[in-house]
Amino acid sequence: MVDKDISGLIIITTLIFLIAPAFLVLYIFIYNRRKKRHIEEKAQMQLTFEAEIAKTQYEVQEQTMQTIGADLHDNIGQLLSLTSLTLNSIELDNRLKAREKVDAAIDLTVRSIKEMRLLGKLLQGDQLVVSGLSEAIRHEINWMERSGKYKIKYTRAEDLPAANNPDKDLIVFRILQEILNNIIKHAHASRIYINLEYNEGTLKLEITDNGIGFNADELTDDQRGMGLQNMRKRAVIIGGEVAIKSNPGEGTQISIFIPYP
Amino acid sequence: MFWFLLITCVTEMTGIYVKGLYLADRAHVRPNSWVYNIFIIFEICFPSLMFIKILTKYANSKPTILCGLAIMYLVYVYEVITDGIFKKHNLTITLMAVLFVLYSLYYFYCLLKDESYINLKYSPAFWWVSGILFYYFGGTACNIFYNKLSTVIVTPKHYLTYYIYNALNLILYSCWSYSFICRKWLTKTSAA
Repeated sequence: MVDKDISGLIIITTLIFLIAPAFLVLYIFIYNRRKKRHIEEKAQMQLTFEAEIAKTQYEVQEQTMQTIGADLHDNIGQLLSLTSLTLNSIELDNRLKAREKVDAAIDLTVRSIKEMRLLGKLLQGDQLVVSGLSEAIRHEINWMERSGKYKIKYTRAEDLPAANNPDKDLIVFRILQEILNNIIKHAHASRIYINLEYNEGTLKLEITDNGIGFNADELTDDQRGMGLQNMRKRAVIIGGEVAIKSNPGEGTQISIFIPYP
Repeated sequence: MFWFLLITCVTEMTGIYVKGLYLADRAHVRPNSWVYNIFIIFEICFPSLMFIKILTKYANSKPTILCGLAIMYLVYVYEVITDGIFKKHNLTITLMAVLFVLYSLYYFYCLLKDESYINLKYSPAFWWVSGILFYYFGGTACNIFYNKLSTVIVTPKHYLTYYIYNALNLILYSCWSYSFICRKWLTKTSAA
């Protein structure tokens, strides 16, 4: 009887001592599968991030090309046509008038050369992001000021981090380009304030204009889709956010917060 | 690994032979415990060396395991001096089981902590350690109550411990066999 009791007890104890490692092994299997899923998700996120960076790079280049195309047509093209017309209208018999026209043609050519130089710099614009966000912003502003339509004030904090993050710089720069495009197309603004500052690991870029403003709640999906949602999506990809303050007739203020570097 | 399995087979066959002699002439022949007591020398050594090899990937476990090895041999010598060679060295076996279970649990802890992913289904080390854990952890009850169990007979021919150890051996060698198969697969994959 005692033997049977002991046998039962030992068998049950041994079974329990076998079930415990079985559960442990099972747990490790489940945990390992989760680990695999986590690694796959991380890799997928990295791919999405890289795709977004490539897309942004492409858009920055496309924007540059559009600007160059427009400038060649509207500005340099006109200047060269005018130069050609001026040179064609020279009457060699009338030396005094011919001298004036040659001088005018020289002046037009010099202006064309200046414009070409600026275009050349613009072509390097997307490369500027690599050498620093602040430099790229300054270059973008210089280009915009040339039109004479806007007064732009740019301030930047002195304590910006020395170390760059080229991927984040590129995305912030692209968001800025989109905001400036929106100002040009829709805001009817005359003054733009751009402020870049850094505080406790967060980079803040603030763009304010004195344009007509808008009511964000009343925008249609199409209006919101291309610009604002793209900005938000891009900011989220690099762990940041975009805050928009605007009211009809009161201008617009857009702030971008990005953990940096 | 090959040598250890060969020694195990030789031990088991010698054990069966000595048991036969003992059952035939109980007055003059001793039980086969001494055969297994000699086998303990190898049983202590081999898994310890394997654990050193397996854990190297995660930590420098060599000093700790060598320390454990020394303690087990000291206890073994102590039991040889106090109880002789013919009585089963239960203290050494219990200590060995506890240490091997601890090493196995440490391996699993390292596995969980490791950020890189390993396909456990085909991991030789994982299945080898699992076999050890099942065998030594499952045998804990038998080791602790060995003195009581040595009198419990289930059938006229066999003690209860015979069935339990057979079941544990089946689990251990199943895990180890699968571990060797995984090792073979891995070698083939690497060669390809």
